Amino acid sequence: MDFGDQTVIHDLSFDVHAGETFGFLGSNGSGKTTTLRALLGIYQPTSGTMHIGGRAFEPRDGARLGYLPEERGLYKKESVLDVMVYFGILKGLSRQEAAKRSRAFLERVSLADKATVRVDKLSGGQQQKVQLGVTILNDPELLILDEPTQGFDPVNRRLLMDIIEDQKRAGATVIMVTHQMEEVERLCDRVILLKDGVAEAYGTIEDVQDLYGGTIVEVHHSGPLPASTLYDITVTRRDYAELRPRAGTDEADILRDLVRAGVMVRGFTTARTSLEEIFIKIYGEQNEPAGV
Amino acid sequence: MAAHNLNTVIGFEFIRTVKKKRFWITTLAIPVVFAVVLGLSFISGQSSRATADTQKYAQVTFQYTDASGLVTDAGASAFGGTRTNDGAVAIAAVRAGTLAAYFAFPANVATQPVRVYGTDKGIFANGTYEAVARAILVSAARQKVSSPQLMAVTQGNVTITSQTFKGGQISGGIGEVIPPLLFLAIFYLSILMLGNQMLSSTLEEKENRVTEMILTTLNPTTLIIGKIIALFMVGLVQMVTFALPVIIGYLFFRANLNLPSVDLSHLSLVPGPMIIGALLLMGGFILFTGTLVAIGAVVPTVKEAGTAFAPLVIMLFLPVYAVSLIVSDPNALIVQVFTYFPFTAPVTAMLRNGFGSLNDLQSAIVITELFIFGLIALRLAVHLFRYGSLEYSKKLSITNTFRRRKRAEPAAVSDRAS
Repeated sequence: MDFGDQTVIHDLSFDVHAGETFGFLGSNGSGKTTTLRALLGIYQPTSGTMHIGGRAFEPRDGARLGYLPEERGLYKKESVLDVMVYFGILKGLSRQEAAKRSRAFLERVSLADKATVRVDKLSGGQQQKVQLGVTILNDPELLILDEPTQGFDPVNRRLLMDIIEDQKRAGATVIMVTHQMEEVERLCDRVILLKDGVAEAYGTIEDVQDLYGGTIVEVHHSGPLPASTLYDITVTRRDYAELRPRAGTDEADILRDLVRAGVMVRGFTTARTSLEEIFIKIYGEQNEPAGV
Repeated sequence: MAAHNLNTVIGFEFIRTVKKKRFWITTLAIPVVFAVVLGLSFISGQSSRATADTQKYAQVTFQYTDASGLVTDAGASAFGGTRTNDGAVAIAAVRAGTLAAYFAFPANVATQPVRVYGTDKGIFANGTYEAVARAILVSAARQKVSSPQLMAVTQGNVTITSQTFKGGQISGGIGEVIPPLLFLAIFYLSILMLGNQMLSSTLEEKENRVTEMILTTLNPTTLIIGKIIALFMVGLVQMVTFALPVIIGYLFFRANLNLPSVDLSHLSLVPGPMIIGALLLMGGFILFTGTLVAIGAVVPTVKEAGTAFAPLVIMLFLPVYAVSLIVSDPNALIVQVFTYFPFTAPVTAMLRNGFGSLNDLQSAIVITELFIFGLIALRLAVHLFRYGSLEYSKKLSITNTFRRRKRAEPAAVSDRAS
């Protein structure tokens, strides 16, 4: 994908399986939104296409697509219900069905009393809820959400994630761009991490965690921790240490090794490197000032 | 699906425009002002007629001298006048307030003024003196001519019907010119009334950040065509609203408002010029609409759109400045340029079509040209909306939109990106 002479996405290919939730991760400017826009035909890609079920995707062929763009916007001078019904009809619903679904959604997100209120009279968060309602009004088969929880308080974020989960349960395939790693860990089956328009990592969350750090062993102990060929000590504090198992080492072997070395082990847990740590590891470097 | 979406867009755009208070305030402002002016005109018309009648038949005690020999003593006395031989004494009496008025009729009333002297009765009542003096002369002239027909002729109250021939057939004359020129009036009205709305029609999607939602739901061509049709319907509503008071005023209050009678039987609807006029109107409308929508897609704000509108308005009115040349010498170079330059072509060609100086070949060329350029402008408008409205707050570089559009080997990764 080129903008003028600048290539912003480099030879990017990925699969999204039917019914899964796919996380699209990356720092600001890494090309996530541009990729989505190119996939949806909003930008004309220099090359490449999106196929759904083996068929080239045409965004406006009546397919049940739901897209929540990063740039939020609705017809602000119209009433909430009018806007929702308008988009519902454009997405192939009858006027009655669009109105019925709109009212049901507004009820669910506690905006039923705002149905006849102009969109610009709503708060930012309320407008975002309406926009999500417009996005899922036609029960989309493919739901593409660009920063869906941006601007929501924790309560509404939880509500939003519940709604996304409901869509997934109903059979929707979800592609989600987000910076919220907890959302990714809760909702996503697989992820892709973009950096400067290149796929830095791609696979299940476990695959990515294995690639960037894998398993961490947390040990609460008494006495000194010996060096070993089975692990590297990454963090050590008084009576606490984090060990990174070396390739091919099983966590049980480490425990046996510690006990054999006479270490009093009071606690032994294994954990994967969090996505947040991996994110910081990948993108933190590019944000550090030069010379640091 | 496309037809369904087109109808949905038309309905949405039309209804949300006509249900706005601001639309009706703006739309009704013109007929309300018009009605107020008509009302004032009606009231003042009645008042003026009553005043004129009162003045004409007013009785004034006056003296007069008559060098023309037209005024008879009997005629003058009917208005309250008596002859005197000494004008200076009469003027002195008027000045002293002992005589209401003195009229001095000259030897030749056609070349010399009638002098009227009167005591001041206020700026409006003073008109009585002139009215009486005039009425005395008219009455005297009637008696001299003693023929109502001759009197009508001298006053220009005659009806003339004319018939002209073209190619051995009766030609319609001015009655044949007017109907095709109605298309020109409709063209001007539609562009001037809807121009700003056309400019700002796609700005709303841009300013409200709705573009991405729209582009993934709807073909931009459907959106823009739908908006244009809805705008046209809005324009019709406005035109009907404007025309209603005029029609009502004409039908029911024509006599009171001193409106001239319009005899539509003289109008001749010749199929050829009417069809050409309609096609020129359609082509011109498409061209200007497409261009205005394209401008709206490029600029980020209504203000900047207005600046870009100005050159189009100039081109819209440019042929009007050359109208006498267009009518009298259609082969003049400037007329030829105006006829074929796309943005001056609609007005020039419609004028020439009305006055019968646009032959079939020229008509065909101009109509084809307008439709081709109009469709190109519409395509450009769709393209610029598609890429320009995502620029949101920035002015669009048209070159960049085309550079971005270039594709290289679309199949290269198509089977991988699934």
